[in-house]
Amino acid sequence: MLIKFLKLPLLWLLLMPVSSLLGQEKVTLSGYVKDANSGETLIAAVIRVNNETISTSTNNYGFYSLTLPPGSYQLEVSYIGYQAKVFPVDLKGNRQLNFELNDNATSIEEVLVSAKRPNESVSSPQMGSLKFSMEEVRNVPVIFGERDVLKTIQLMPGIASGGEGSSNFYVRGGAGDQNLILLDEATVYNASHLLGFFSTFNSDAIKDVNLYKGGIPAQYGGRISSVMDISMLDGNDKKFSGEGGIGLIASRLKLEGPIVKDKSSFMLSGRRTYADMFLKLSSDETVKKSVLYFYDLNAKMNYKFDDKNTLYLSGYFGKDELGYGDLFGFDWGNATGTLRWNHIFNSQLFSNTTLIYSDFSYNVRVDNDDSDFKINSKIRNWNFKQDFSYYSSNNNTLKFGLNLLRQEIVPASLNAASGSAVNSINIEKRQGLEAAAYISHEWKPTSNFSMIYGLRVHDFMVMGPGTFYTFDADGEPSGETSYGNSIIKHHFNLEPRLSMAYIMNPKHSIKASYNRIAQNLHQLTNTTSSLPTDQYVLSSMNIKPQIADQVALGYFRNLANNAYELSVETYYKFMDNQIDFRNGADLQANKYLEGELLFGIGRSYGVELMMRKNKGKLNGWVSYTLGRSERQFDEINEGSWFAARQDRTHDISLVGMYQLSKNWNLGATFVFNTGNAITFPSGKYQIDGTTMFYYTERNGYRMPNYHRLDLSATYEPKRENKKFNSSWSFGVYNAYNRKNAYIIDFRENEQQPEVTEAYKIALFGMIPSVTWNFKF
Amino acid sequence: MQTIFKVLLAVLISFSLHSCEDKIDVNLNDADPRVVIEADLTNLSRNQEIKISRTVAFDENRAFEPVDQAEVIVRSSTGRVYTFESIGNGKYRHANMMVNAMQEYTLLVRLDGKEYTATSRAPRFVEIDSMGITKETILNDDYYFINLSFDDPGGEDNYYKYSISTNGEPFKFNTVFSDKFNDGLHVKHQLGGRNIEFENGDSINLRRYSLAKDVYTYWSEYQSTNPGSASPANPKSNISNGALGYFGVSTVKEYKITIQDEDGLSQ
Repeated sequence: MLIKFLKLPLLWLLLMPVSSLLGQEKVTLSGYVKDANSGETLIAAVIRVNNETISTSTNNYGFYSLTLPPGSYQLEVSYIGYQAKVFPVDLKGNRQLNFELNDNATSIEEVLVSAKRPNESVSSPQMGSLKFSMEEVRNVPVIFGERDVLKTIQLMPGIASGGEGSSNFYVRGGAGDQNLILLDEATVYNASHLLGFFSTFNSDAIKDVNLYKGGIPAQYGGRISSVMDISMLDGNDKKFSGEGGIGLIASRLKLEGPIVKDKSSFMLSGRRTYADMFLKLSSDETVKKSVLYFYDLNAKMNYKFDDKNTLYLSGYFGKDELGYGDLFGFDWGNATGTLRWNHIFNSQLFSNTTLIYSDFSYNVRVDNDDSDFKINSKIRNWNFKQDFSYYSSNNNTLKFGLNLLRQEIVPASLNAASGSAVNSINIEKRQGLEAAAYISHEWKPTSNFSMIYGLRVHDFMVMGPGTFYTFDADGEPSGETSYGNSIIKHHFNLEPRLSMAYIMNPKHSIKASYNRIAQNLHQLTNTTSSLPTDQYVLSSMNIKPQIADQVALGYFRNLANNAYELSVETYYKFMDNQIDFRNGADLQANKYLEGELLFGIGRSYGVELMMRKNKGKLNGWVSYTLGRSERQFDEINEGSWFAARQDRTHDISLVGMYQLSKNWNLGATFVFNTGNAITFPSGKYQIDGTTMFYYTERNGYRMPNYHRLDLSATYEPKRENKKFNSSWSFGVYNAYNRKNAYIIDFRENEQQPEVTEAYKIALFGMIPSVTWNFKF
Repeated sequence: MQTIFKVLLAVLISFSLHSCEDKIDVNLNDADPRVVIEADLTNLSRNQEIKISRTVAFDENRAFEPVDQAEVIVRSSTGRVYTFESIGNGKYRHANMMVNAMQEYTLLVRLDGKEYTATSRAPRFVEIDSMGITKETILNDDYYFINLSFDDPGGEDNYYKYSISTNGEPFKFNTVFSDKFNDGLHVKHQLGGRNIEFENGDSINLRRYSLAKDVYTYWSEYQSTNPGSASPANPKSNISNGALGYFGVSTVKEYKITIQDEDGLSQ
């Protein structure tokens, strides 16, 4: 079946060059676009030929290909945060040529004002995508001064924050587990540290972030709400350099440099928190011996065999450690590894072959006088990907590939020491195999109409060995079957994707998109904060794949020579096979877990407005989302629709960055959003002398509105030493000390137990921060 | 793993040194009153009591609305019928009903033309072999715990509940345990820290219940609902027709203990 499908585009591929031969003779210019100082490849850099109509952009690996009749050309190469440059090129035959750009920081000031910005936001057929430079992440104020891509992305339209200080996010009303987060193509299962206050992405090590919230291209699949594709830096291949910082919470250090000049380079970046250093000051022996920290380590190296072959090896390791004396230990973390081979078959055909491993695990150790036990849980995958980009002509780009993913879940099992007051419990592991193939065609039939359409097919195979259960309507086990090492069930899905743009003139365009995506990995969360112990389940006989169908329509406009970008997008997303729990579900070490699940549907819709200013001393953006996200389960709220927890009517972000002088940069963000939907009691009663709360409606209430202002200032002293420079970042989180409710709870009044009262807990008041950063 | 969550929550709260707590006003809807039945029959004495009430609005200055006009009957599987008499304030009493372990009882409540029924069976009481007090110093504060040790019967599901009365105050639910993780082992139940803090010198009356699964589930759901729950709901009742509360028949023993730095134990 898969082979058959693959043959089709290959056939097409063979035929395509023939058709181009029928016309005028053409030659192809190809190569990479790179940073002039570090040699880093630049993703989605735009190359424009003479005028506005013919253009191309680099792919995820910085590669471009342009097919033109022989002649002399002026090629303008541009990239966000970099100074655009025009290169004169004489083209007689096929040619490989790399372009290098300087970033704004290293170029003279005036350039920043005059640098021409590409109008990609208007002309690209892709919609629902968000891209920002690491420079922007650097200037946005954040909590504890720890700059963070996941916090910055929450300031974009359609992306809602997971809560106070949280790095979790919800895209267009979807759940937190519906976001595919990729780091160098490896799935990151749990993207947060310390219960969500920090993301696992150390911004020092990141090159590029791209988020798709709609019109998701066919090369991505597996999560129904969004794809966040993060690329790590490859490592400076020109000179040895370092960068780092000392902050209130954590310190960071990055080293990079050539191994063999112009052939091979490395990048090593680490970060560690030191909150637990303060525990050492305690007079309590147990507290002294306690630990509380996390670390991240990113490493990457590459080797260029020749102009056509490059090998990349990258990895990420992160861990949180939490321990109370010798009594209790808890650690969790992700590990990923990516081995990638970029091969250029010819100037028109680019290939990327990837082998990926990724896991997330947590371990609990309890060492009491009479109960010694350990709990271990792990989720991991092995992934093989083969991707091709075929640049048939400037109006036709074909992307196609294969993907084989083996997924394994080892649910929490309990191992007790002998003589312990607890028994060992072992829950069977679950396995799945996902085979997928995709093809995507980017097509510009006329100068003002372009589209990307594609199809992804995939088959998720539920694999044995294992015992599988069936359940009756009440969730009680009604039967069981044991399987050997075989395929137990196929979940087959066809996922059409479409995104198109009609460009009215270079300043306006209208875009429309549709995508269908299926998801076979589901996270079970029954708390408002996402915990490392939240369980994962695979699609099975009882659990069907989650499926989303999304349509979106947008209007894009650039003003004042692309200095301002304006966009309006509206979307409707329907979600099938959504998961919730029966009341009082037992999710822990329960082999009948699937019987505790409820299945329903969801819908979300809304309008997103974004206005962005990219030039001048003051830049930033305003984003506003008006949205709704609802769920319907027969067993909840008597079957009527209810607001999803992340349903927020209004969500506003204002981000401003101002260059005050050569030495001072100021930043400010303001956020406002409607409170989350929440379940509060609508009455009370008494049982066994205890006041009980009477609940009538799921998520029938709202948390209070949330708003907050953050400020930052960066001081960069005059450079006295060419080799070393440093800067100071000052920040204030929650500048006007707003007591936003983190939790609202109810209790009996201490003096009069028959009177009941509500109280709120606010997590963070005003928090100042300071960080010293350096670079050499 | 509930404990893990609690530890995490504690870390989370203590982590934010700035966190603060304020009393607030929340505008809650008034739901239509619903019938609440609390029928907790035990073998402690022949005096049995059942409480019937209705839910009240959240901001009312009373905890419940008593219902005195119901008809309350309990039948045993041996065919005996016990008719409970209203004694006011929502209480119904029977002065001579003996609860036997392993016997099934059925509750029938008739109120305003509606019938509410439930069935429960009392398991055998699991005896303890020792009881004592421990003191632990956590972050320079002293905490007292009451520890009860016993052999959990292997090969069967056992559920335990504790109610505590401090210095002569009325008994109040404290906690429930199951043997999901320690079936058939020598088990220690530790009381204190959660829901209750014992002070040196406290005179404690403690009731240990061996109870049926659905009553355990009721209390376990109540106990696991915390401010971090994504969707709190009413604990699942074993009574029909949408009544809140539960019908439980349990075997119970009562212990007295005084919190002292040295162990003091009497039964």
